[in-house]
Amino acid sequence: MSNKILLAFIVLIFFSCERSVSEQNGLLFWSSNNNREIEFAKEFTEKWNKEHPNQMVRLQPVPEGQSSEEVILAAVVGKTTPDIYANMWQGSVEMYAKAGVLIALDSLEGFTEFITERCGKETVKEITSSDGHIYQVPWKINPIMTIYNRTFLSKIGTTEVPLTYSEYLAAGEKVKEDSDNDGYIDKWLGYTSVKVIWYERFFNFYSLYIAASDGGSLVKNNKAAFNNEHAVNVFRFLQKLYINQYYSRERLSAAQDPFIAEKVMTKWTGPWEIEHSEKFKTREDFDFDFSPMHVPDDHTGPVYTYADPKNIVIFNTCENPQVAWNFIKTMINREGDKVFLETSGQLPRRQQLEKDSLFSDYFLKNPKVVKFAKQANYVKGVDNCEVIVEVFDIISQEYEACVIYNKKSPEKAIEDAARAVNVLLGNNES
Amino acid sequence: MKKNKWLPYLFVAPYLIHFVVFVAFPVCFSLFLTFHKWNIISPVEFVGTTNYSRMFNDRMFWKAILNTLKFLVIHIPLQLIFALALAEFLNRKIKLQGFYRAAFFLPVIVSGVVVTILWQQLLAFDSGIINRLLVNIGFGKVGWLVDPDIAMGSIAVMATWKNVGLYVILFLVGLQTVPPSYYEAAEIEGASHWQKFRHITLPLINPTIFMVVILSTIGGFSLFIEPYIMTGGGPLNSTLSSVLYIYKQAFQYYHMGYSATLGFFFALLILSVIIIQKKYIETND
Repeated sequence: MSNKILLAFIVLIFFSCERSVSEQNGLLFWSSNNNREIEFAKEFTEKWNKEHPNQMVRLQPVPEGQSSEEVILAAVVGKTTPDIYANMWQGSVEMYAKAGVLIALDSLEGFTEFITERCGKETVKEITSSDGHIYQVPWKINPIMTIYNRTFLSKIGTTEVPLTYSEYLAAGEKVKEDSDNDGYIDKWLGYTSVKVIWYERFFNFYSLYIAASDGGSLVKNNKAAFNNEHAVNVFRFLQKLYINQYYSRERLSAAQDPFIAEKVMTKWTGPWEIEHSEKFKTREDFDFDFSPMHVPDDHTGPVYTYADPKNIVIFNTCENPQVAWNFIKTMINREGDKVFLETSGQLPRRQQLEKDSLFSDYFLKNPKVVKFAKQANYVKGVDNCEVIVEVFDIISQEYEACVIYNKKSPEKAIEDAARAVNVLLGNNES
Repeated sequence: MKKNKWLPYLFVAPYLIHFVVFVAFPVCFSLFLTFHKWNIISPVEFVGTTNYSRMFNDRMFWKAILNTLKFLVIHIPLQLIFALALAEFLNRKIKLQGFYRAAFFLPVIVSGVVVTILWQQLLAFDSGIINRLLVNIGFGKVGWLVDPDIAMGSIAVMATWKNVGLYVILFLVGLQTVPPSYYEAAEIEGASHWQKFRHITLPLINPTIFMVVILSTIGGFSLFIEPYIMTGGGPLNSTLSSVLYIYKQAFQYYHMGYSATLGFFFALLILSVIIIQKKYIETND
């Protein structure tokens, strides 16, 4: 009897293994698990499979986990990575590239020419790894800009949007208000997260730093490159917002969005805010628009910002990277980008997007997105540094001490952060 | 005969398998990692005692330990006093005794994350109910979670509220083991309530007190959810607990070798504290 049970168990294991082997035919493509992106990926996978029955692609949304980063990491460790993964944060790529788990895409036929034409030379330079190869396909971006409430603006007697540090600070004095006379401010110029967690700096310090420095770097030649007047001025500007009580030090997790609740006039955010504000606004005539990130008073020329880029990679478990690239190309050519924009509402990383007639219908229907499309010509991702998360974390620590709590001067905070980053990069090198 | 020889091993196999997979292997692997550098995806690299020397020079880790000790200094006495007072109250014949016992135990079984988010709302500086109440009755706002001098105290109070129910139950069990005849004899001798409590109750529930201190200490050293959700370790790292720091090293920066070293050292620290507590609190009276 027990032998029969054992035999049945072995047969069960055999068939379960057999099934997984048969599933491994073709390329495995993990998309993000955002419904709209799944819809987009599904459309292109089906189209590809119809046209290439001998080079099938299987679509699977990235498996559920605490975060997609954790799932990818677990897959790399378990050597169960997909062939193609779409939605990798640009800052993570260098770590995987250094670990040797990604395909150098510049070795594939037609890659460099295609990407240079689509995204421009600057983007190609930005995504080139420290070893000179390219391991990521620039795919989509969500540029960070300033959202502002027009009603608030008219209440303070102006229609001019504050664009420079001085103009913004002057607006802060007019906006801050104690409407219930309890001795505490309850109307603010703006809100930005006070959490120390590294990625929160994308939406304040980092975007402002890129704006002030016209796309400057945090790390260059394996050394801190932000100990400069731009970073110091950004810290000083942000510090003034808290000292003068134009911004609140409150942590607002799980609380109502203060912009929607009309407690703040502005916020630094991405294009996702358009749909969010329209969906959750509390009155029909809630009137908002977008402007570039704030810049120093003497700034001239276009205003850059953080792109929040998410890219596509091919893992080294892929047996046919050229086919994988050919498939990716269909998703990110002009037609592919158009469908992506229409389906997901996110911007493809394509140069001069707003001038391309193919996209004009979408922009006519969605005029608020046009500002982000124009901004897309002046964006930057993050530097290709294996420990970029720790770099942001170090800056975050100093940000809290200087900007939020005024315990350090901007000069000292930036200097300390740069020194700590250099120690980190030195350690990392050894 | 042969069958009988293997049968005992078969019976203990579930425990042995669990022990090997979930205890012995992780501990041995952690010890191995303390001498290595590993970011999960790259090959493991031997670094000798570098992780240990880095730990002794890591000011942030020592700050995290100090923060944890601060938390314990506030949390354990609060826990003891409130748990004992509530147990004493609930041990009397009062109306709705069952309801009160269940009510005090309720926070223990509610998810820590949910409780923490609720307290975060209560303690918020601008929009929190507690500060609004203070302003309405003429006081100023308190930076419960945004003032570096107060934040850890706020977390300790919240953690006490969350866990006190469990210790109330333990003390109730302890109180009910005290023979009533002792109290009757003391009453005949004219002892006051305080004298009965001081000279009869306290010595007799000493093992329970010891257990509550040990459990509170271990629980306190494991402080994670509250600062992770409420403050993220801020303001100015004033609520950065040791476990939160170890977590950040492991799962934010992927310094697996270094975080294993911190974890090992921290486990030894907890063991030392428990041994000291055992020596000074546990008595044979």
